[in-house]
Amino acid sequence: MIWVEVLSRQHDIAARFRIASPEARIGRGYDNDVIVDDPYVAASHLRVFRDEAGQLVAEDMGSVNGTFLDGHKSRSARIVINGKDTIRIGQTTIRVRDVSHEVERERVAPPDRHVLPIVLAVALAAALLGFYALKVWLTQTGEPRASNYVTPILTIVVTIVVWAGIWALLSRIFSGRSRFLHNLFIALACAAALLIYVELAKIAAFAWTLPSIGAYEYVAIWSIIAVTCFFHLHAIGRARLWLKGTIVALLLVAMIAVLALQQSEAFSDSGRQQATRQLMPPSFRAVPLQDEKAFFGDIAKLKATLDGDRAKPAPAPGEASQ
Amino acid sequence: MACGWRGLVLQGDVLAVLSARWLKALGLLLAIVLVSASSVPSSRSAPSAAESIYAAAPARLLQIRTLVADAGRQTSIGSGFLVSADGLAITNYHVVSQVALEPKTYRLEYVGADGSRGEAQLVGVDLPNDLAIVRLEKQDAPFFTFDKAAIEGRLAKGERIYSMGNPLDIGFTITEGIYNGLAEHSYNERIHFTGALNPGMSGGPAVTGEGDVVGINVSTRWGGQLVSFLVPARFAAALLQRVREQGAVPDLRAEVARQLVAWRSTMSASLSKEGFRSTALGPYRAPETAARWFNCWARTNAGATPKPRASINTTTCTGDTSLFVASDLNIGAIQLSHSHIKTIDLNQFQLATLLTQHSQPRLSGGGSFRKWYTAERCHEDFVGAGSTSGHPPLRATWCARAYREFDGLYDVVLVAVTQDQGSEALVSRLSLQAVAYEDAMGIGKRFLEAVQVVR
Repeated sequence: MIWVEVLSRQHDIAARFRIASPEARIGRGYDNDVIVDDPYVAASHLRVFRDEAGQLVAEDMGSVNGTFLDGHKSRSARIVINGKDTIRIGQTTIRVRDVSHEVERERVAPPDRHVLPIVLAVALAAALLGFYALKVWLTQTGEPRASNYVTPILTIVVTIVVWAGIWALLSRIFSGRSRFLHNLFIALACAAALLIYVELAKIAAFAWTLPSIGAYEYVAIWSIIAVTCFFHLHAIGRARLWLKGTIVALLLVAMIAVLALQQSEAFSDSGRQQATRQLMPPSFRAVPLQDEKAFFGDIAKLKATLDGDRAKPAPAPGEASQ
Repeated sequence: MACGWRGLVLQGDVLAVLSARWLKALGLLLAIVLVSASSVPSSRSAPSAAESIYAAAPARLLQIRTLVADAGRQTSIGSGFLVSADGLAITNYHVVSQVALEPKTYRLEYVGADGSRGEAQLVGVDLPNDLAIVRLEKQDAPFFTFDKAAIEGRLAKGERIYSMGNPLDIGFTITEGIYNGLAEHSYNERIHFTGALNPGMSGGPAVTGEGDVVGINVSTRWGGQLVSFLVPARFAAALLQRVREQGAVPDLRAEVARQLVAWRSTMSASLSKEGFRSTALGPYRAPETAARWFNCWARTNAGATPKPRASINTTTCTGDTSLFVASDLNIGAIQLSHSHIKTIDLNQFQLATLLTQHSQPRLSGGGSFRKWYTAERCHEDFVGAGSTSGHPPLRATWCARAYREFDGLYDVVLVAVTQDQGSEALVSRLSLQAVAYEDAMGIGKRFLEAVQVVR
């Protein structure tokens, strides 16, 4: 008994035929055991039979387009069947298996419900929103209002769920499994990283007097988003990771370049950096007090920069100046 | 302030409603109104003083028009008057500024009240006093003389004086008003004239009953009623003297820059000389200038609704030192302000957020960035202004930008936030426009040192 399987492009089984006779004929004609409706397949294309040694062999019956071992570029007139390799005739992929083909061992079924990851996801989400609410509270200087908390928190929740949902959908399309919880974890981790980075950057900019942190915040933020996208792609499938990594890295570089251009154009249009100089409680200061003389020494150095700017012609519209 | 008189009238109307009490809003009289004397019943038999003064004016009173050289049409109009037999006439700098700065694009023309008209050539400017002298092709022309008492400062408050000009291009006009001495809190001397000046009368003469010049129409206060200003005649007399002594006409654009730099360095020296006095804000001692040409006002949020979560008390001292340089550039303002911000029910982080909002170093613009300024550069750090305990640690930010056109002039803003307490702070701000860098550093240093705390 021989089994002939017609495969889809993704090598899923599209149809399976049980051939009781010792020989199976495959082709487009109605005199075959297995009829393949592919215009590039000959009326009588392939014959599968048992040779003198008893092993299954596929033999091309003189088709114009030929028979190929999948992945090979040269025709094979005669192929010894091993049950694993697929055969391409015309634009159709088939696989032939002997009735004695060995299948994998039965897998052990996972426990019914994964409670732990759900609990973890909920806990992470709660921690994230709690942290965000704390941040809103600490920056609230006017009348406390519930909408100051509810609106942004709702926005964050919806954004994360939609984001994870889109990746789950992509995952479902390309790998067959949605893995929503997994994607949700990645999205939550991304949101947490963004939130923590922004707050730490603010504190560092104040504590160590590093105003440039604010100016280059977009680099860090987009890097975090890029890493997140890479992990989502990783979750879809492990194949061709280097390609996925390269695409994400290229997009990141393009994004940063566009933003840098935008910033420098805004700077040459307005003549000022748009970053806010954030203050923190005085106890956050991490550097010693600068001596007044040294401070004015640094200020005196700015004069040279200004005079240098002055010597340059005024920026033409849209031209970058840094 | 605007370039065309339409713009000025519009701005004037709007600002008359909005003008904040601590801001001096001055409207230059590049072009404008006139409440004509016809409302005063004039007796048919005896001519009024105004009537006899105006009767003598036409040959000496002028309208000065700035024309786009290529188009041959006016872009702005003002007034002027002859002060010598050989055709020298006084007007305002702001009437002819476009010709001074862009002599290739603009030219001047005069129209006499007697109907004569012709070309006028700009021969001298006095930027700080907003005066200019033009030369007309005239010989043996009648002219105005300066009032001797006014030049010596002996004019009595309450004296009736008469201002002339061509408001809003609707015809030459004379208007009556009262001499009220010099305006207070003004760095540049200005006569306070209680009378209706309108756009277009800029540069016209204000004369005594005898017809001698006391001052030159220059501006009005937006939001005031008949509050107008004249440039004292002695500055015009001095400029006339200077122009007579000069040989060829100097490069006026360079002259404008030179006068601006000189004027600013005198003012910086004067500011340094007057020094700072200390004013108390909570436990803090903040520097306030002792110079009389500053206007100081206080603000509080104590009565605000909803009830504020931190008390904010602010004092702001503004120097009335802004100068018209070009139709799109008014520079020279000086401002010192201090806000004492103390928590009522804010925690340290929330107070820091509030302080962040109050301590951004913004350079106030006197003109459009692209045309006049380089990009701003900033430096910030934690500073200990003195070793003693009376000096709180400061978070200080200094931002500066240079003027493209005027070598050696910078706009500077220095913001200092005290860092001694988490529950209250003093935010001090010093803002200087068009100042030499070293002068700004000197003043800034004294400013920082004067921020103190007493506990």
